[in-house]
Amino acid sequence: MDLSRRQFAALLAAARSLSAQEQAAGEDEILTALQQELERTKSLKLSNLPSPYFAEFALDDTYSYSVSCVLGALISADSGRARIPRVQIRAGSPEFDNTNYIFSQLFGGRMGGGRIPLEAGPLVLRREFWLAADRAYKGALQAIARKRAALQNVTQQEKLNDFAPAEPVRYLEPRQTIQLDEAAWKERTRRISTVFDSFPQVLNSAVEFSAGYSTAYLVNTGGAAIRMADNLFSLRLRADAQAADGMPLHDAAVFAGRHLDDLPPEEVMRKGAEEVASNIAALLKAPAGEDYSGPVLVEGAASPQLFAQLLGAQLAPMRKPVSEPGRPVPMTASELEGRMGSRILPEWMDAVDDPTQTVYKGRPLFGSYPVDVEGIKPIPLKVVEKGSLKAFLLSRTPIRGFEGSNGRARLPGPFGGAVASFSNLFVKANETTTLAGLKQKLIGMVQQRGKPYGLLIRKLDLPVAASLQEMRTLAQASGQRGGGMVSLPTLVYRVYPDGREELVRGLRFRGVNSRSLRDIFAAADDESVFDYIGQGSSLASLSPTGYVTTHTICSPSVLFEDLELEKRTDDWPKLPLVPPPPIGG
Amino acid sequence: MRQILAFALVFPAFLSAAGPAGLLQILTAELNRNFTTLQDKAEPKPYFLSYSVVEQENSSVSAVLGAITSNHTRHQRSLDVSIRLGSAKLDNYHQIRGDMPDFASGVPVALDDSAAAIQRRLWAETDRVYRLAAQRLTNINTNREVKVADKETAADDFSVEQPETATIPTAAIAFNQQEWAGRLRKLSARFSKYPKVLSSQVTVTAMRETKYFVSSEGTRLQHGRPFARIMIVAQAKAADGMDLSTSDSFSAADPKKLPNDKDIEDAIDRVARDLTRLLDAPLVEPYVGPAILSGRAAGVFFHEIFGHRIEGHRQKDESDGQTFTKRIGENVLPPFLSVVFDPTLHELSGEDLHGWYDFDDEGVRARRVAVVEQGILKTFLMSRSPIAGFPHSNGHGRKQAGAEAVSRQSNLIVQAAQTVTEKRLREMLIDQIKRQNKPYGYYFQDITGGFTTTGRQGFQAFKVIPLVVYKVYADGREELVRGADLVGTPLASFAKILAAADKPGIFNGYCGAESGSVPVSAISPALLIGEIEIQKKDQSRDQPPLLPAPTGGGAN
Repeated sequence: MDLSRRQFAALLAAARSLSAQEQAAGEDEILTALQQELERTKSLKLSNLPSPYFAEFALDDTYSYSVSCVLGALISADSGRARIPRVQIRAGSPEFDNTNYIFSQLFGGRMGGGRIPLEAGPLVLRREFWLAADRAYKGALQAIARKRAALQNVTQQEKLNDFAPAEPVRYLEPRQTIQLDEAAWKERTRRISTVFDSFPQVLNSAVEFSAGYSTAYLVNTGGAAIRMADNLFSLRLRADAQAADGMPLHDAAVFAGRHLDDLPPEEVMRKGAEEVASNIAALLKAPAGEDYSGPVLVEGAASPQLFAQLLGAQLAPMRKPVSEPGRPVPMTASELEGRMGSRILPEWMDAVDDPTQTVYKGRPLFGSYPVDVEGIKPIPLKVVEKGSLKAFLLSRTPIRGFEGSNGRARLPGPFGGAVASFSNLFVKANETTTLAGLKQKLIGMVQQRGKPYGLLIRKLDLPVAASLQEMRTLAQASGQRGGGMVSLPTLVYRVYPDGREELVRGLRFRGVNSRSLRDIFAAADDESVFDYIGQGSSLASLSPTGYVTTHTICSPSVLFEDLELEKRTDDWPKLPLVPPPPIGG
Repeated sequence: MRQILAFALVFPAFLSAAGPAGLLQILTAELNRNFTTLQDKAEPKPYFLSYSVVEQENSSVSAVLGAITSNHTRHQRSLDVSIRLGSAKLDNYHQIRGDMPDFASGVPVALDDSAAAIQRRLWAETDRVYRLAAQRLTNINTNREVKVADKETAADDFSVEQPETATIPTAAIAFNQQEWAGRLRKLSARFSKYPKVLSSQVTVTAMRETKYFVSSEGTRLQHGRPFARIMIVAQAKAADGMDLSTSDSFSAADPKKLPNDKDIEDAIDRVARDLTRLLDAPLVEPYVGPAILSGRAAGVFFHEIFGHRIEGHRQKDESDGQTFTKRIGENVLPPFLSVVFDPTLHELSGEDLHGWYDFDDEGVRARRVAVVEQGILKTFLMSRSPIAGFPHSNGHGRKQAGAEAVSRQSNLIVQAAQTVTEKRLREMLIDQIKRQNKPYGYYFQDITGGFTTTGRQGFQAFKVIPLVVYKVYADGREELVRGADLVGTPLASFAKILAAADKPGIFNGYCGAESGSVPVSAISPALLIGEIEIQKKDQSRDQPPLLPAPTGGGAN
């Protein structure tokens, strides 16, 4: 009797919330089906164990198109629709539940997307969520029981709640229509790939366009109801070569936007390809660099690329899950954890993370979003003020000393929580000089220290374009030397006292981490904006999830008083015995 | 909606496009350039080089309970380069314990016949494979100096075969994705009549596969085949937590030859009804005694327990169990049984077979191979990796793109010289039950597939996973049971085949092994086996769903 009365009440509630939905945004079969099935999760109950205290259903309704070309030839063109479901069930209470435990996701299985209908069929949709919620609930009960048992054998240093309260958000954008001229993009990609026809020294090249349309749906028992566009468009190009001493060389460029119109015109992308090819040509002729310790000028796009990894990626400490005795958690702590209020940048620098801003100086921003993946509206945050760390980026998972989301959950994460990350990060200097002045300062420091040259970095390797092998080597190298993981610098120049610049190749950072930011000596009055596709980790390829995050970083050129770079001493592959085939021959 | 329309328009267009005439020439030119230079400059020198490109154009549609759940088209070309260094007597493919040769990587190559893009890829891949090959050859030589050579190494590493030249256009297949989407909506909705089925899916796929192969020996091949297939699957959970699943499939060379809606509906009803009945069926107890395997079940049984053990390369692998290695000329089956592998057979009694091809993946012409004649083992399935006494390939070197070819099965056909009607076979089962003093025997109606271990360290055993199994009592009564796994050891099982029925059953499927997934068929009449062994299936302990299935919320 009791159960059926509760079910009836649930149905009534569902009906009420639906009529509100319909008024707000017209009828939406998906939202309605998700909400109807979500209501039913409240009556999930296994023998005398408690029902879930929180449930969340999400569905990404996607259409993707990608095309890849080499030297004017089509390698692949694929398109497809997919609906990717996500179910979260929390058993227990916000103070103690099934998440934040090393085996939180071991039970109950993950939900596959293969059986979600791509067309009208609310009952089929509800069936899949019904079965997934059932598995997730049973899995949650198993996980919480094992978590309790594990805690009997370990003493927790500090007891944290598992889930922070949040205001329910209703945010319903009008449904989007897909308008993509696939044939035109295929031809455009093909044309851009022919740029490399004129650079026979580039041994391997590829140009890939990808369009990902997604409508993200989310409902939870806390009252959130979200429907929003979450699109991503990019054109990526990459070129490889091998120097005479065997050193593999590569360069890449990525053009990305949240709207198709945000991508630059073909001519600009073509120029990007020419630049990548010329960079390779120049690097092939450049001498190998030598170990260096001293002043380094980080100029142009290299500055936001470096800030993304040394600052952005460190601003969201991860919650360490409850583990079992003798089972270490494979997780590296944020370099900024426990440093709230400490100086992490020079006192004349500030940093703001603002997902709510969509345009900056007429340029669309890549890291903006109206609602995060936990259904929370983000707020702008002053993360660094006068050089001191003022705020962390938080999801609903409490971390040591901080509870309460500020809307920075960007990806579904491990251990049942979400991964927080930065959005649009603006790094500002309040004392500046001209870029020419900054270079002069570099030369001054070099002369003062009696060094033959200083270093100038103009471009870092893009995590999204680096190969997995390079990433592994880099992770190993930085692990041995205790530095954070920073991408390889691709364009490094020696600056001689007479101002002359000489490109060198084969250098990497040594022991560079977020503490190095305190050694920033001066900044220029310029500003570089860099759009960056991440996967919640500073080294994208190491994270195996299919999800990506979008970020924009804006920062001035900066002069470091002291940075170390070292010569890469890996064993290079031998040169091929057979010369490459001629292009067009 | 727009993109679905686009699929329907685009797909038939590229399927009907004429086969690219240029690819063979591009492959040949770059092969010659690389082979000549490597022979001139490299140390160790290659004595063989081949390029193989597999082109697949496929399309599939899936539906669940009246709604489309996936709708794909895909076009790809994958390249594998094979280089042999040293000599045919001893090369970089030589088998050493615990280390499989693995040079192929199935890299994508341009879909257009663009010389520049394809040549660059061929060149880079040739260089990569040459380095790996040289490294492995060095390892092999070191290994051989360290270890005592055993007598199996008397066989060469690579056989000499006739170079082949052929350009056989692959027939275009007309697959109307939109029309199939409409049919699948209707067909898949049929499962809603069966409330105990928790999940179900109906999928149709159509593929045109074209293979290009060129070698330094002068082989130049372009050939291929179309495929079409319907898969029906259903799953449910019994009250005690056991996961149950039933399925059916249809294969044909062309989507046009797939069955009509009525036949598919009947299959869906059968799948759903069997599953529903299985939910309430009693669990099996461990059992040893007589049983009948239906034709399809017997085909799978032979594929697993016999077919995998007469694959030639296993006979020279020291780590293999080598059940049949020394038994050529001996009785391995009852004298009334013969086993043939025939990749040249496209259909049998009007039904398309899955395991045919014109040339194998080493460019050797396909041919019929009589492996067992009147119970006596005559030969093995051979790739170009010779074994003592069998210096040549018999056209069974097969692989998936990205893997190295080994000897694999094609269309397996079990032939019986003496047969009885299926009715008589049933009577013979009851006689056996009585003679062996058993309360009941078994009838295996359907089997999903199975696996076998041939390694020396593992048990020399097999397990086939039956879907639909009946207990047959001495009085002729039948009772559906669940949770049966058919287990046993190969030699013991073969000796106990007592009789065969007169109608062949056909199982079309894919076989997975070290060289990847390849299409195969297994054909056999129903067989009476004097003694089989059944064990209880491992089962999940989860409860069935706590809440009833959703209803209402709009029509489908």
